[in-house]
Amino acid sequence: MNFKALGESLGLEEDEFIEIVEIFVETAVSDIKKLECALPSNDFAAVSDAAHSLKGSAGNLGFMDISRLSATIEDKARKNNITGLAPAIIELTALITGIKDQM
Amino acid sequence: MNINSPLSILVVDDNPLNVRLLETTLAKEGYNIFKAYNGPDARESACTNNPDLILLDIQMPGENGFDVIKKLKNKGDTASIPVIFLTGVSEIDAKLEGFELGAVDYITKPFHPLEVSARVRLHLKLSIATNSLIRSQADKLKQISDAQTSMLTTPEKYPDARFGVQYMSLHEAGGDFYEVLPISNDIYGYFVADFSGHDISTSYLTSSVKGLLKQNCSPIYQPLESIKMINDVLVEILPPGKYLTACYARLNRKTRQMRVICAGHPPVCYVPVTGQARILEMEGDVIGIFKNVLFGQETLIVNPGDRFYMYTDGLIESTDKKIVWSEGADRMLAACQSAHDVPISKAPEKITQLLCPDLSKLEDDIVILAIEV
Repeated sequence: MNFKALGESLGLEEDEFIEIVEIFVETAVSDIKKLECALPSNDFAAVSDAAHSLKGSAGNLGFMDISRLSATIEDKARKNNITGLAPAIIELTALITGIKDQM
Repeated sequence: MNINSPLSILVVDDNPLNVRLLETTLAKEGYNIFKAYNGPDARESACTNNPDLILLDIQMPGENGFDVIKKLKNKGDTASIPVIFLTGVSEIDAKLEGFELGAVDYITKPFHPLEVSARVRLHLKLSIATNSLIRSQADKLKQISDAQTSMLTTPEKYPDARFGVQYMSLHEAGGDFYEVLPISNDIYGYFVADFSGHDISTSYLTSSVKGLLKQNCSPIYQPLESIKMINDVLVEILPPGKYLTACYARLNRKTRQMRVICAGHPPVCYVPVTGQARILEMEGDVIGIFKNVLFGQETLIVNPGDRFYMYTDGLIESTDKKIVWSEGADRMLAACQSAHDVPISKAPEKITQLLCPDLSKLEDDIVILAIEV
């Protein structure tokens, strides 16, 4: 992932962008915790709220794969459809760990 | 807005990432940034810091963005701060509701920081332009001659406006006046007002207000915006203690929408063809005293034949008989209902006869403006 190019596309210097990505990772980790807590109890409202938040933050920074995956989770949770939610959350965690590792 | 100090923006979002992203982007443009992460903090910051613009997220836990706009618009010192809201792409109802509540624009999420920056710039420019327009209108009015605007607008001049009027001025420089304004083919504005006091400056001020109505009642401004702009100019030019109470109605015969604004004036009577006649009760500040004002507003969907009556207090208020307009309005409504079978051009005369059979006993000026949809 090219942080410099992603930052530039948002009109930000690389260091400014990295600082914001750090906040992103922090909030993403907390959103994923919320997802993991809410899923076993079938708390679909909490799942869709956390996915909605992650969708927005990732979308704003240009992390489109994370944003799309979060959108799918949000959509399923809104329809109370649990199918595929657990694997999707695992995939999300992996994507965010990927970003963290690059920093 | 002080041009010499940096422009300031209040950023409101429950997501700290969004706040940080907007802060970084906008601070680089030279704006002073205030931040809030929830509704109550946003409102408090708006009051204390008086920012030049607010970026407001709609979906927040607890008090959401709509609640925040509503409260900001209902408070004099924050009502005129432009608000741009942030909302999801597909939420069309949210966008419409935001505009209805008085937002100037929206930005869809996920947002691009540079788009936010461009929109913020645009709306700050508009806001500065509006403020300087108000100042320049005030300057021009100080030099205006009253010759062009002192004539009364007669129903014959605008037959499509379908109105009737009774105008009687007891004093040489009466405080009451009215105006009918063609805004477009199907849209007319109707204005009835009463200046405090009857001195010679009143007739000059009446011309000024008519000039302001012509300048500010256009299709691009909502009626509430028109009256606020007129208020802002009058605050600059009126002598101390002078103010005006007024009603402004804008009727769109195509969409059948009637919007009535009330500024501390006796309430409009509404007599529909079918259904109950009623008084449009609204609270509102007077015009020309306060920079930050709140006016009453009501929007109605009307039908052909429905009638509205706007008037000044001379007919229904009596210092001799100690009748004030709050109780006088009921008598006015009854008289308006009795005039339903009279053509609109003659209705004001009939109402005057009903309420004041002996015109020699008149204590004050009279204006009755009757409008038929």
